[in-house]
Amino acid sequence: MPHREKIAWLLLVAMLACYVPYFTVAHFNPPPADLLPNLTQIRLLALVAIAHALIQGLGRLWFRIRSPEDARAPADERDRAIERRSTTVAYYVLMTGMILVGVMMPFTENGWTIVNAGLFMIVLAETFHYGIAVWSYRRSAA
Amino acid sequence: MAGTLTNQIRTLRFLNGEMSQAELGQKIGVTRQTIAAIEAGKYSPTLEAAFRIAEVFGKPLDEVFQWTSGVA
Repeated sequence: MPHREKIAWLLLVAMLACYVPYFTVAHFNPPPADLLPNLTQIRLLALVAIAHALIQGLGRLWFRIRSPEDARAPADERDRAIERRSTTVAYYVLMTGMILVGVMMPFTENGWTIVNAGLFMIVLAETFHYGIAVWSYRRSAA
Repeated sequence: MAGTLTNQIRTLRFLNGEMSQAELGQKIGVTRQTIAAIEAGKYSPTLEAAFRIAEVFGKPLDEVFQWTSGVA
């Protein structure tokens, strides 16, 4: 498996492992929308962000130690083509999400609902980004 | 237009002293996995990479890659 495919898997799994629980909690136990700042909610978000960064950092380090030559090699044309495709799709997902959250939701929602919806759209766009990268690598694997 | 891009890379590697995919990849600046994907017809290389592969084997481009049109 190419180094960049491993990284795409890592980022996808880290994203899902950290943010699916966060949004599940936020959905079933929503913070009061008008309570700003909500330290409990901020602490939970900080915890998730730190866990996400740690998983990514340790995973990258692990792959670098296991195969240092692959990690040092620059991206080739297939890597760049896959990155272009996945970034393009993620961009449209993010743009659509930001229009919904930033332009429409302020008329009907407030506070943490908007904050979490904005975060959800970013996570969704990144999930598309890494998901399409993984799918593209698998599809073109010999 | 629909069509199929095929190639003779596997044969040419064999005829060039069983050159490995990694060696070929190193010579043209791509990973072994990308060569494997090109060879299996699962990834179409850029024109530049195609010319580089042909150059490694000392063959014209159309002896390495063939295009078959899907339109009857």
